[in-house]
Amino acid sequence: MLFFDCNVFYGLPTKRPLAPVATAEELLAEMDRAGVEKALVWHILQHGASPQIGNQVLADEIRPHPRLVGCWAVQPNQAREFPPPRALFRQMKAQRIAALRVFPSAHRFLANAVSMGDLFEQMVACRVPLFVSLRRGMDWPDIYALLAEFPDLTCAICDHGCWGMDRMFRPLLERYPNVYVDTAQYLLDGGIEALVADYGAGRLLFGSGFPESYLGGMMMALKHARIPDEAKEAIAGGNLARIIEEAQL
Amino acid sequence: MIGRSDLSREFWEHGRSASCPIYDMHGHMGPHESIYMPRGDTADMIHTMDECGVRMLVFSHHVALASSPKLGNHLAVQAVRRYPDRLRAYCSINPNYPEQAQVDLETFDEYADVYVGLKFLSDYHGIALTDEAYRPAWEFADERELLVLAHTWGGSRYDGEAVVREVAERYPHVKFLLGHSCHGEWDAAVQLARDFPHVYLELTAVFDDRGVLEKFVQGAGSERMLFGTDLPWFDPHHAVGALLSADISDEDRHNICHRNAERLLAPFVDGLEVT
Repeated sequence: MLFFDCNVFYGLPTKRPLAPVATAEELLAEMDRAGVEKALVWHILQHGASPQIGNQVLADEIRPHPRLVGCWAVQPNQAREFPPPRALFRQMKAQRIAALRVFPSAHRFLANAVSMGDLFEQMVACRVPLFVSLRRGMDWPDIYALLAEFPDLTCAICDHGCWGMDRMFRPLLERYPNVYVDTAQYLLDGGIEALVADYGAGRLLFGSGFPESYLGGMMMALKHARIPDEAKEAIAGGNLARIIEEAQL
Repeated sequence: MIGRSDLSREFWEHGRSASCPIYDMHGHMGPHESIYMPRGDTADMIHTMDECGVRMLVFSHHVALASSPKLGNHLAVQAVRRYPDRLRAYCSINPNYPEQAQVDLETFDEYADVYVGLKFLSDYHGIALTDEAYRPAWEFADERELLVLAHTWGGSRYDGEAVVREVAERYPHVKFLLGHSCHGEWDAAVQLARDFPHVYLELTAVFDDRGVLEKFVQGAGSERMLFGTDLPWFDPHHAVGALLSADISDEDRHNICHRNAERLLAPFVDGLEVT
């Protein structure tokens, strides 16, 4: 089973965590120890300092490491802090950046059509995936509102919490065909199996939540889930690889 | 494969280990109002335990922790007697209903085949562990040297570090299991374990916080840590994956998974092998 982790960051947060992972090389060493082949990764500077600086640091630091694929952070662009969408996409493609993230609460904006409609429209047109985190920046009403405005957006909902949020994300899986949920903090016994039974294996992405969570927790849960091997392969990495491949940057 | 140790290999390949059985010291049972629980009934839980190598689960029933300890404790008794080799229970005490708690304590000895101690859920019941309402239960447990599993959470005025410290000093004969290990107040949890030899760090919800396992092993010692998952909430395989990921030894993993629990449970479980 090849693990392609969709939910990893590195860099030193403002408040020192118990086990910081400062560099891309340290991240790769941890991935080697756990047996994670690839990761879609973002840098904590994108959240805690500046998306522009964090985006460039990330691109520079993952360049020598083909196992790492980048995820940039974006904000509303009324002040022209970012390139226009198509130019942004071209920059992403040139620097092995495959997806975007938003941190609305920390960065003080609303991720909706009024604030970011031009970007989200282009993301839908080009199938560029958006990753959102319940741990960092998005609440369920925000996600519901965003998807109501952009029902075809490819959107991966990450870090939805250890209190089994099925009643929150299952309605979204049923309504919006391009919504995915990641496995980070999805500790619910039998949760993976129940989701696969109801929605197929195509809507779940392996995410560890590293470095705040151990890489091996959800690896072990997935490896021994009572689902077919093909389903495990899809969740472990196949679904993420397909989403990235479908993006027209 | 996660890590390179012998236990890692065995758990990764088989999902369980013959040499390292698991005693899950913090479980529940049944449905819960705030979460969809696919495997909440007893038979499903036993199935999960089989797959993960969990030899025994010690639990309190969700219903007992809510508003009906009478019904919930009864359901727990039924479940243990159906699976006597796999289950033991904590008698749940809700100090909001002292008359029921009194009955539960008075009849405790009738369930020597079921109970290993008491379960307190102060944050949810809204009464501090130090409150007078808990005194009869604490004294009962202290007198009998029972296990007490108390939900503990960092910063809580009901069961945070300061409260835990006070009752740990007051009742030195209980085996005091800090459910969730004063979650978030990791340094305080370590200090409590160092200060009180009868305090144990129970790891439910701790497994998802990278670095804490190493901190506890270094600061308190793996002899003071206990495996727990809130089953049927959290998949034990996730906890095992975290244990294998942590930078600790296989000896530590043995202590956490079974050795410490075996010693604690031995007085209450006939024939339990202490390895």
